[in-house]
Amino acid sequence: MKTHIELTHQAILPPPLPTDDREIGAQVDFLGIVRESEAGEPIAGLNYEAHEPMAQSMMQRILADLALLHPCKEVWIIHRLGFVPVGQAALFTRVLSKHRKAALHLTDELIDRIKKDVPIWKLLEGTKE
Amino acid sequence: MKIKLLAFAQVRIELGFAESTVECSATETPRAILAKVAPEYRPDSSVRVAVNREYADWDKPVGEAFELAIIPLVSGG
Repeated sequence: MKTHIELTHQAILPPPLPTDDREIGAQVDFLGIVRESEAGEPIAGLNYEAHEPMAQSMMQRILADLALLHPCKEVWIIHRLGFVPVGQAALFTRVLSKHRKAALHLTDELIDRIKKDVPIWKLLEGTKE
Repeated sequence: MKIKLLAFAQVRIELGFAESTVECSATETPRAILAKVAPEYRPDSSVRVAVNREYADWDKPVGEAFELAIIPLVSGG
């Protein structure tokens, strides 16, 4: 399974669609978007910080685990760091596979694992409107 | 030996530093090393520790580690 993992301080731009593999039958894209309130309070956005080298290696390991359970062709993870304004994406994932179930399951489990184990945090400090 | 101690998110705010260097021995545990720089701080059960970028046991000696990171409850995504 090909993997692409990126931590960026820039707005997330989904990568171009692959055109060279005609065995891809399913593409599942996910965007995690910053909402306008947190715990009922209005916010302007969220600040994300990470232990970057550990976050990279944890995501690589998670993908290695999930590839055994849900074989897919290619996975992208792009996580934004720093201030992310309301309405913009903090996380993008793309899973390409031959059949839809593997891509859907891998996406679901990947996001759960990121939220549980990858050292990335969202902070409210300095984000109140 | 010297070990780099990293603190993130809420723990960084509570401890007042993001990075520090601590003199320690390979037989010391993460809990003991953290206590040298923050004797009042008691990590609760949601706070994990990573040794050389791998989740580790608070009470297992660090060995010849170069980095110890205090990892509060993560919330990415």
